[in-house]
Amino acid sequence: MTKILLVEDIPDNVALVRKALSGRGYEIIHAPDAETGLQLALTHIPDLILLDLGLPDYDGQTLAGWMRAESVLDATPIVAVTAWPEETAKAMVESYGFDGYICKPILKVNEFIAQIESFLKTP
Amino acid sequence: MPPTNPNTTIQLIPASRFSFEQLTAIYNQTRVDYMVPMPMNAARLAEYVNTYDVDLDRSVVAATQDGDMLGVNMLGLREDRAWITRLGVIPNTRRGGVGQALMESLMEQSSRLSIKFAMLEVIKNNTPAHQLFLKLGFYEVGELLILRRSPFTQHVDPIVADAERMDRTDSLVLVGRDRGTQPWTNQSESLFNAFEVSGLRLTLADGSRGWMVYQRQKFLLSRFAFKTEVGDPATVAYALLSHLHYQYPRLDTQVENIQINDPHLPAFYKMGYVESFRRIEMWHGTPPASLGMK
Repeated sequence: MTKILLVEDIPDNVALVRKALSGRGYEIIHAPDAETGLQLALTHIPDLILLDLGLPDYDGQTLAGWMRAESVLDATPIVAVTAWPEETAKAMVESYGFDGYICKPILKVNEFIAQIESFLKTP
Repeated sequence: MPPTNPNTTIQLIPASRFSFEQLTAIYNQTRVDYMVPMPMNAARLAEYVNTYDVDLDRSVVAATQDGDMLGVNMLGLREDRAWITRLGVIPNTRRGGVGQALMESLMEQSSRLSIKFAMLEVIKNNTPAHQLFLKLGFYEVGELLILRRSPFTQHVDPIVADAERMDRTDSLVLVGRDRGTQPWTNQSESLFNAFEVSGLRLTLADGSRGWMVYQRQKFLLSRFAFKTEVGDPATVAYALLSHLHYQYPRLDTQVENIQINDPHLPAFYKMGYVESFRRIEMWHGTPPASLGMK
């Protein structure tokens, strides 16, 4: 089963992602903060990491930096999920080693699923 | 929940009656829909309160008479200055006067202490909050930048200089000197209160010299204070940053509330920092003499 690690602190957003991806062959692993996110990433080596940029302990940029420093996660795409304006999101994605970003709020489920599939297919 | 009528339903409770876990939960709920949500956990909030001299007895939580949480607002106090921070109203209870009630409560707390000057920062483009502060008599002072530098930014060799690392004690001696007017977060007291503070001092071949003080946490460099004693500030700052990032190549960096007219600023861009977002600094009342020395 394809494993997706979701690092997100807001329960409603977690529920939304779980609902959108349920029944599609994904196992969703959830971390509510950065420290737990790193721990679960290293334990499960997921196929994709969805990373909220606003987390309660360290923010998503700092966490992406830790993850990118771990060679076991070299093959795992890390995607920022953010409500930042597009220009800022692009700058953060480029400088912090993310593989892309998904804009919040997630309004169109089909579009979101297509984005997830696209990141999973990217070599 | 419909908009709240403050005259009939709001009660204002001292924040000190809540645990850090409870305050964190309220604060995080007020920010869920922010573009820059900046959530906290209890440990971070406790550190925030300590670092920024937040007085929880004079900070307030708003709730309905039935005990439903509505919002929070916190008051920092230093000498004859006040700082308003962490103002937030839970999204589905906005537009009912909760924010104004929270603000007026803290302004009243300050007045009771005979404090006639208050400062705050508001995220640029947070129009409702900005409008509220203007309505309450705050005026704009300038813009503040929040900058980031990722650990993957291109490696930079240290500029040739006579450089010296400083421990906490030596660093805080320098921070205590005149650094001009600073936003609350960057005032000397914030660094005095912060953990893991150290510094760098250097002299360049042409005699330019300056120092920087910073906080080094496990994964993050932050809380920068700069001073150029002789020479061009951008040149001195670039040299200082080159030594800092050479020393800590794997650390993420966040610079908070650097003033947009700070003469050191070009060094940050040259060193690969990117802008995250901006805040507007606002003041209320006449700045006291103590502000200029911080």
